Amino acid sequence: MPEGIFCNKKPIENEEDLKALLNDTGGKRYYEEMKSLEVNSDLLWKTIQNTLKSRTKTWLDICAHCGMCADSCFLYLINDRDPKQVPAYKIQSTLGEIVKRKGKVDNEFMHMVMETAWAKCTCCNRCGMYCPHGIDMGVMFGYLRGLCYQQGFVPWELKIGAGMHRVYRAQMDVTDDDFVETFKWMVEENEEDYPGLTVSVDKEDADILYTVNAREVKHYPEDLAEAAILFHLAGENWTVPSSGWEQTSLAMFAGDWAACKMQVESVYAAMERLKPKRMIGTECGHAHRATVIEGPYWAGRSNGKPPVESIHYVEWLAEALRKGKLKIDPAKRIKKKVTLQDSCNYIRNNGLKEITREIISYIVEPGYFIEMTPNKEHNFCCGGGGGFNGIGIFRPQRNKALITKRDQLINSGAELVIAPCHNCWDAIRDLEEEYKIGIKWSFLKPLVVSMVEIPEHLKPKE
Amino acid sequence: MYKFLTGPMFWLSLSICLIGMIVKFVLYFKGLNWQLDRVAYKAYPSLGFKGAANSIFKWLIPFGTHGWRKQPFMTLIFFGFHIGAVIVPLFLLAHNIFLKEKIGISLITINPALADVLSWSVIISVFFLILRRISLPEVRILTTAYDYFILLISVAPFVTGLIARYEIGNYSLWLTIHILCGEVLLIAIPFTKLSHIVLFFASRAQLGMDYAIKRGGTKGKGMVW
Repeated sequence: MPEGIFCNKKPIENEEDLKALLNDTGGKRYYEEMKSLEVNSDLLWKTIQNTLKSRTKTWLDICAHCGMCADSCFLYLINDRDPKQVPAYKIQSTLGEIVKRKGKVDNEFMHMVMETAWAKCTCCNRCGMYCPHGIDMGVMFGYLRGLCYQQGFVPWELKIGAGMHRVYRAQMDVTDDDFVETFKWMVEENEEDYPGLTVSVDKEDADILYTVNAREVKHYPEDLAEAAILFHLAGENWTVPSSGWEQTSLAMFAGDWAACKMQVESVYAAMERLKPKRMIGTECGHAHRATVIEGPYWAGRSNGKPPVESIHYVEWLAEALRKGKLKIDPAKRIKKKVTLQDSCNYIRNNGLKEITREIISYIVEPGYFIEMTPNKEHNFCCGGGGGFNGIGIFRPQRNKALITKRDQLINSGAELVIAPCHNCWDAIRDLEEEYKIGIKWSFLKPLVVSMVEIPEHLKPKE
Repeated sequence: MYKFLTGPMFWLSLSICLIGMIVKFVLYFKGLNWQLDRVAYKAYPSLGFKGAANSIFKWLIPFGTHGWRKQPFMTLIFFGFHIGAVIVPLFLLAHNIFLKEKIGISLITINPALADVLSWSVIISVFFLILRRISLPEVRILTTAYDYFILLISVAPFVTGLIARYEIGNYSLWLTIHILCGEVLLIAIPFTKLSHIVLFFASRAQLGMDYAIKRGGTKGKGMVW
């Protein structure tokens, strides 16, 4: 059977197919079908010829096999220095082999490639910083995932995730109406404590267009309320779009480039329709990477920028605190040992290391902040990045990977870790559940809401 | 034989090497694609240039990057090899006398004692590079016969050059073998991993531009390699 009902080379294009695939619990039938999925070698080789150009070709060709990337990879370190986890080996034995064999690889080989691409690399890009030749294996694994996706060798959850973006323009089944209603409902819930709290939908020419992660709408609606409260207290002129509000991209994790383009174009269309001064995205790492860093390229924007200036939530928060738009009550600052999780997607890959520490300087009592080792752009992945968190069949590998962050946290001696990234936040929650080290974890918004001074005129009347 | 090697073969191997390197370098940059690589190279030329220069420069300094500092032994043998491998062939007195005869120009030359030290440093470093390939599992798994071949053709001119320089055995025979090894190396450069002589700069420049233009170069203090 070359193509399965569920496992095949076709992307999910409609709600019916999406639901059918979702009902295949755990991807049981999907993975069964994958065992006999045929590789279209001609298509694979043609795609490589069209898309593997001098940068990647040179990376594969000049790798000196020096092994200096080994120690940079947290998955190599945590898996008892297994030589098969050396980044150069992982990419040479997968993408390198496919190129060498001109695409003539079989089903068994592609199963190995799939596991390597999703369970042995989180695309954290740390190895690229340690290679003398500047070979970024994380970038190559992103490319390899695209080839896997095209051939149908993609983890079940990510095939669904990419399908969600294609059907709903969101990473889960949250419609535009769900989003608007949930936001309004959360604002209403908090109106009593914050008189005048409101959310404008589709307001044109606002200073801020706010975009979110669909998980907040579905599972953590209080996050929407907290965002509204902080914008309100800061006196911002802000709005949310009724469509194009989803900043994340599971399609990026899946390697479904066409869906990446569709998703990001929906956000850019909202920018162009509403003409805000700036777009601010929520506390999510990959969402920022997808919409602000990589997105412009998927959408064919030759200046590499979204239609309006787009920043991460931490950049807005640091600015609001710096300019005094938000004032922290000094008595309420954090007075316990606290550390900070540097998200690969906007620290290593977008240079925001000082901004996050500036926020720390406002909200943590001096003397209580502890850096993890290593930190900033050299920090290790949370252990669940690049889609690793959500892939059921690779859960044992993911749980092993979490040990890196667990030990970093234990060694820091912190009681609380601030994780301004959904993926990192999830990974830390899971590592606490799995290993019970007694760590607390939090986004920035709830912390700031709990310590911000409410200006007199915005206080509720007694 | 000697006449052939220092005559037509010299010109041929030198031309293949130089033209080959130029072609490799030009093709690399011609093959960069802003949309596939997802780096807006042309939109930010000065930012890109600074990032590229920084990315190359930092890695040329021993212990200049986190990567080098993380692996001090590798750094020692890496630079022990590369410093000699670049300086000796270019600035050895004998090479420059030969060059002056052939093309009428010569480069500055180094003290013969220093040339000896650097040549030995190359040979000793290669010994340890091989040892490293054999003994470290994370390097062994990557190592192929091709890697040893590259090391062999890279070190051969130094071994034969030193034998000739110390006049062990038949001087003119060893000198001829030395020249042959040198020319084999020159010809191999554009067609093997040795093309990293130029592609190192190209690839480092690319990642430097990537980080400077796209991955945070405009925010914060930029990249700490």
